[in-house]
Amino acid sequence: MSLRFDIPIARTHQFWDALRVGKFVTTKCKACGNVSFPPQGDCPNCMSSDHEWVDLGTDATLVTYTFVQITPASFVKNDPYMIAIGKLSSGLKVLAWLEGGKVENVKIGERMHLEARASEEGNPYYVFVRS
Amino acid sequence: MSRVAIVGLGHSKFGRRTDVDVAELAFESIKQAIDDAGVDKKDIKNVVVGSAGGWYEESLPAVIVNEYAGLTSVGTMRVEAACASGSAAVKTAYNSIVSGEGDIAMAVGVEKMTEVDTLTSVELIGRAGSYMWEFENYGMTFPAYYALYAVAHMDKFGTTEEDMGRVAVKAHHYGAMNPLAQFQKEVTLEKVLSSQVVSWPLKLYDACPLTDGSATVVLASEEVAKKLTDTPIWIRGVGYSSDSANLSKRDDYVGLAASVEAARRAYEAAKVTPRDIDVATCHDCFTIAELMAYEDLGFCKKGEAAAMIREGQTEVGGRIPVNLDGGLKAKGHPIGATGVSMMVEISKQLRGEAGNHQAPIRNGVGLVHNVGGTGHYAYVSILSRN
Ligand SMILES: [Zn+2]
Repeated sequence: MSLRFDIPIARTHQFWDALRVGKFVTTKCKACGNVSFPPQGDCPNCMSSDHEWVDLGTDATLVTYTFVQITPASFVKNDPYMIAIGKLSSGLKVLAWLEGGKVENVKIGERMHLEARASEEGNPYYVFVRS
Repeated sequence: MSRVAIVGLGHSKFGRRTDVDVAELAFESIKQAIDDAGVDKKDIKNVVVGSAGGWYEESLPAVIVNEYAGLTSVGTMRVEAACASGSAAVKTAYNSIVSGEGDIAMAVGVEKMTEVDTLTSVELIGRAGSYMWEFENYGMTFPAYYALYAVAHMDKFGTTEEDMGRVAVKAHHYGAMNPLAQFQKEVTLEKVLSSQVVSWPLKLYDACPLTDGSATVVLASEEVAKKLTDTPIWIRGVGYSSDSANLSKRDDYVGLAASVEAARRAYEAAKVTPRDIDVATCHDCFTIAELMAYEDLGFCKKGEAAAMIREGQTEVGGRIPVNLDGGLKAKGHPIGATGVSMMVEISKQLRGEAGNHQAPIRNGVGLVHNVGGTGHYAYVSILSRN
């Protein structure tokens, strides 16, 4: 048995569509103004479903990080990778791989930015790159 | 509100249990707990099974476990709160007695994690967060989650890799005294620090192992408990809380907000303070997790956990002895069984039956701290002799 999940993205496809052309957007609630990341069609603050897509921004500061050397089954083909949580200027935080340099040189508080990438199968994803 | 006591304790050998299937493994602790309580199993009204599942073949562990032990027709369910599933099972069984459904209930924690290959287990635990946003593209692992906290804690408070290593040395020291522990061997700080990096700065010896195991407690109402035993261990208060699935939504990475809130609720319910605690189990799935627990539970001030471990304040003879059964680190961490195993350990300590690793009991109060995921869930239970 092998399990594959078809995860619906009908209500957040705008994020992935934008990412394919190198842009970063997320949801903003029209009722209360709350901006979410990850994007979500229903507001977790006031529960309104009336939302618009706004620019997420890409500049971030590094909050914390790690260097994953034992990778899970689905990632055994990957080289070890760094993962970081970055804080955007809006205050929202994002978790993603961190590219650029060695783990010994990484410092909390340093500047980095989000960049779009595509997997071998052509699926979009995003990474932090040290600025 | 009516009082509920733990009146029966059962605990299997933890480790790589290729000799038993999930029902046989659960039976080991169920039989011990029923014998220890001295109850007739037909008087057990409800059985709550804590198991995260996914790494063994059964989809309905509660009914599999119950059928094997001859417990069909009980009120039952499987509960899931990740690595805190065991505490959730005890709380649910407790609720059934408080609500008047019956005088006797049982909580069984069981997990079989080694029937799938190691990297598949690593993946299944790594998915314990937000699959879509933190696993699908980035391959987060359980060590990686806690490593993000370790790095932030080191940066903010000057906690070192040696401080984290000391937690592992302590765990193995006590694990060596526990015949049911997965690892019964002392380790040196040098060995911990030179072990393979799993997710920097966490190394192999900072991490709990993958474990098969079960633990069971029998609970009874006050009236029945007093008839059954001279040493009922009362569940004085349980606090539980939760946090965001996505780590990116947390305020900071130097403590678990769910633990802080669960502890506040538990202390309030039990009407005790951290100063009253004689002995505790803290959720040490990783060494950094135990250090953060000292702070989150109010055993010390924020940022002072490293000093606590350096000074031996959490060993026997220290201010609050922690994880004298070897903890998740050395005893092993069969996800759903862990919370129940902690209840067994603290009950033994309060009964004065912990043998070679007995803590001095002054106030008769113990604490069980059980975290699910990376602070996605947290349960704090206060147990007492009176
Ligand atoms: Zn809103």
